[in-house]
Amino acid sequence: MRGRRGGGRLRRKLGESFRAGLGAMARRAGRQRRAAGGGPAALASLPSFEDEADEAPEEVSFGVARAAAETERKIAGEAARRHRELLKEKRRRREELFKEQKRKKLLPEAVLQELAAAPPGQQSEVTHAADQDEHPEDGPARQSEGHVPGQLKKDKPKGTRSKGNYMAVHLKDQSLTGLHQQTAKDFLYTHLYGAGTNRTHANEFFSLENKKNPVKKAAVQFVDKSWGLEEKQKAMKFKKCWLAAKMKSLV
Amino acid sequence: MGEFEVHRVRFFSYVPAGVRCLAYHRRTDRLALARTDGAVEVYNFAANYFQEKAIPGHEARTVEALCWAAGDRLFGAGLGGDISEYDLERLRVKRSVDGFGGPIWSMAANAGGTRLAIGCEDGSVKLFHVVPDGVQFERNLDRQQGRVLCLSWHPSETHIAAGSVDLLRVLDVGSGRTVQRIMVNYHVQKSKKRECVVWSVAFLSSGTVVSSDSFGRLQFWDWERGTLLESHTVSTSAVLSLAVSEKEDSIVVGTSAGATYQFQLLPVKMGSQDKHWVRTKPFQHHTHDVRAVAHSPTALISGGLDAQLVIRPLMEKMQKKGYEAVLRKFTFPHRRLVSSARKARLLLFQFSQHLELWKLGSTDESGKDGEVLPVCRAPEHLVQLKSKGPEHIYCSCVSPCGSWIAYSTASRFHLYRAQYEGDGVSIKKVANVPKLLLPAYQLQCSADSGSLFVASDQGSVHVLQLLEPGGCKHLHTLRPPSGTLEAVYLLASSADGNWLAAASGDWEIHIYSLKRFKHHCTVPMYSCAVTALAIHPVTNNLVIAYSDQQLFEFSIPEKQYTAWSRTVQNSGLHRAWLERDSPITHIAFNPKNPSHILLHDVYMFCVLDKSLPLPDDSASLMNQSALKQLPETARKRQLHAFKICKKFQPLLFADLLDENCLVMVERPIMDIKTQLPPPIQQKKFGT
Repeated sequence: MRGRRGGGRLRRKLGESFRAGLGAMARRAGRQRRAAGGGPAALASLPSFEDEADEAPEEVSFGVARAAAETERKIAGEAARRHRELLKEKRRRREELFKEQKRKKLLPEAVLQELAAAPPGQQSEVTHAADQDEHPEDGPARQSEGHVPGQLKKDKPKGTRSKGNYMAVHLKDQSLTGLHQQTAKDFLYTHLYGAGTNRTHANEFFSLENKKNPVKKAAVQFVDKSWGLEEKQKAMKFKKCWLAAKMKSLV
Repeated sequence: MGEFEVHRVRFFSYVPAGVRCLAYHRRTDRLALARTDGAVEVYNFAANYFQEKAIPGHEARTVEALCWAAGDRLFGAGLGGDISEYDLERLRVKRSVDGFGGPIWSMAANAGGTRLAIGCEDGSVKLFHVVPDGVQFERNLDRQQGRVLCLSWHPSETHIAAGSVDLLRVLDVGSGRTVQRIMVNYHVQKSKKRECVVWSVAFLSSGTVVSSDSFGRLQFWDWERGTLLESHTVSTSAVLSLAVSEKEDSIVVGTSAGATYQFQLLPVKMGSQDKHWVRTKPFQHHTHDVRAVAHSPTALISGGLDAQLVIRPLMEKMQKKGYEAVLRKFTFPHRRLVSSARKARLLLFQFSQHLELWKLGSTDESGKDGEVLPVCRAPEHLVQLKSKGPEHIYCSCVSPCGSWIAYSTASRFHLYRAQYEGDGVSIKKVANVPKLLLPAYQLQCSADSGSLFVASDQGSVHVLQLLEPGGCKHLHTLRPPSGTLEAVYLLASSADGNWLAAASGDWEIHIYSLKRFKHHCTVPMYSCAVTALAIHPVTNNLVIAYSDQQLFEFSIPEKQYTAWSRTVQNSGLHRAWLERDSPITHIAFNPKNPSHILLHDVYMFCVLDKSLPLPDDSASLMNQSALKQLPETARKRQLHAFKICKKFQPLLFADLLDENCLVMVERPIMDIKTQLPPPIQQKKFGT
């Protein structure tokens, strides 16, 4: 009779007791033995161990087994708990790191409050003053921030004016019509010249007749003038400079 | 006749912009044409297809639709989102109104010319009233997702057909609602399922909607039931444009592969009432996409991205076989883009946004007729002047001594002083140019480089004096005695500095005396447009070339036509001369031979010898090659006044530099075509 399947610890325990009890038994990898908790007769049904079936298994009492199971449970539970704690710890550390970085980006509280209160002209003095009172933990970080005057963050109050560091743009250029026009042109381009349209080079197109003539001629444009454009331009510039230098030396 | 050393110039890298829209105006027999760079031109079909008006483009302006409305007013709309009205007298944009729908893809005027419908990027169709001082918003029709690429009014003005991507819908104008939606993408195999773009649509009075799409099909739909009546697969590439004749029995379509086809409504069997649309005539006039077609009562008109305008008269509509039924192809503009400084041997090339000044090369050797001489000094690109701002250049000129360069855009006039030291040139801008009403339509420098003539609107010409170290002063403004609204577009000044001739848009030529700054006389009115003017340096005769290829010579001191001119008119010009395709754009004279006139058009260069007899129709006009083979005595019998050379083609400019030197600026068509956007591949057997 095949016993009921037990949990992992029962499996392990019975396997151990098997090993202990049967001694020199060939072990098959991956084969799991099942038996009832206290049923020695189950072993008799296993065909491979008929030769070792003459020895009776070890008798284990229920209480002992239960205690053993509990200890095993406790061990597993503690392992899980430790794992969870580890993750929690990791998470906490990362949160702290982020908070730290965020705090580092802003100017110190004192500076912000002073900026809100102080008139615009004295802002450089305020930043210098704030340099002195720094948070002890972020000392070096604050210092580097404070030395850059005039750079105000987005959350600065509305009453202050900044000088320098602004850009005037022509509103007309920033309007949407340019974007619409570009989309429209892209639509046209993809449908007339995009994938699926069967376009070819001008050279290939016009050279077809030359190919088909009774007297075959060369292609219409067999020199691609766009090759080596950069090299040609550099050579031209060099020539000009050299000539100019030559003229100078002559004069 | 003489021997000339010919400077054959091919370094003018002019690339015309492709044709984007066409609009035919039946009443005045004119065609409006818009190019991809925003330029708008008007061709007068009655005046031998002369390009009588040209409005230069603008960097930010693209024209996607052009239409005539309210009589003779021309409206255009483009991806900038504005509806612009063009002032054809002052050659500029009169006013523009924002459509408030994003980029405008299409515009159509109703049959009466009183309303305009525009199709916008946001999917809405908007109606505008055409009022005497512009356009006024009327209302929005039903808006749907997807850009409206094409529009067409029903002739009864009750419905509008609008085509977008994958969809064709019919809107009721009265209620503004969509009354029918037709999915165009159904009848395609599953493997080829991609977006079907409806490029153009037309609404016939029988209730049939004709649509052309990017799968190469022309389809006929019944709009009330939403069903497909007929479908014709015209090509494998997209069908980009279609136009219906006024009688609605003929449709012309243009494809992406450069082919145009005509469809006609014909009875299937002789005498039966049942008519079907049949594809009748295929044409392959273009190499690149045909983005615009138009249908006049007697001709099929197509314009492609290869910058060619092709007018194909229909034989069945022609009364007789003659020159009227000939295919007309226009690639080059009908005005001069090159100015020459004769004494300094310089050429000024006018592009749309910059100018190039070149010095001609020279050769030491001489040779016989037809020989190519080696160049000892290559032509040199001296200066490139970029025009500031997005506007394109209207006109430019260089003085005969080469020291003054002037050009004008729609809102600015620039004058530069050039100084030549050795091989180099330095350009200095002349500040404080006089405030003139801009733009200048034509600029001409006097023969002694002391004055600059600026052609302006309302028939007036400004005379500016060019002062030596680098300054400019406004001397006088010459005005015609009878006011005119049109602008002056051609100028000619005499070599002695006494006379100035100006031709304006109403085809009148006025002659002014520069000594007394007053109007001298008016040349008798002729029924055709003036294409070229020049005043003879010795006799002060004004030679005029008209767009119907007639030539006149008017004597300025005597205020009447010369005897030679009367002889020409009495005997008539040779038939082959009158049947030329392109107008004469420049006239020059030979100081050594006062009886010679040098003329050129795009395909020929002619030296007209007034002392020789005129040919009659039985003689051959182009007999130069035949004459060369005859002995001296036989030649004398067959000589006639017109000595035509067709060796240099296509010519943009030809001028006489000095006694023995000619310059010919050619622009081979293949050089233009290799710079155009890529064409559709054509599969040819065996390649």
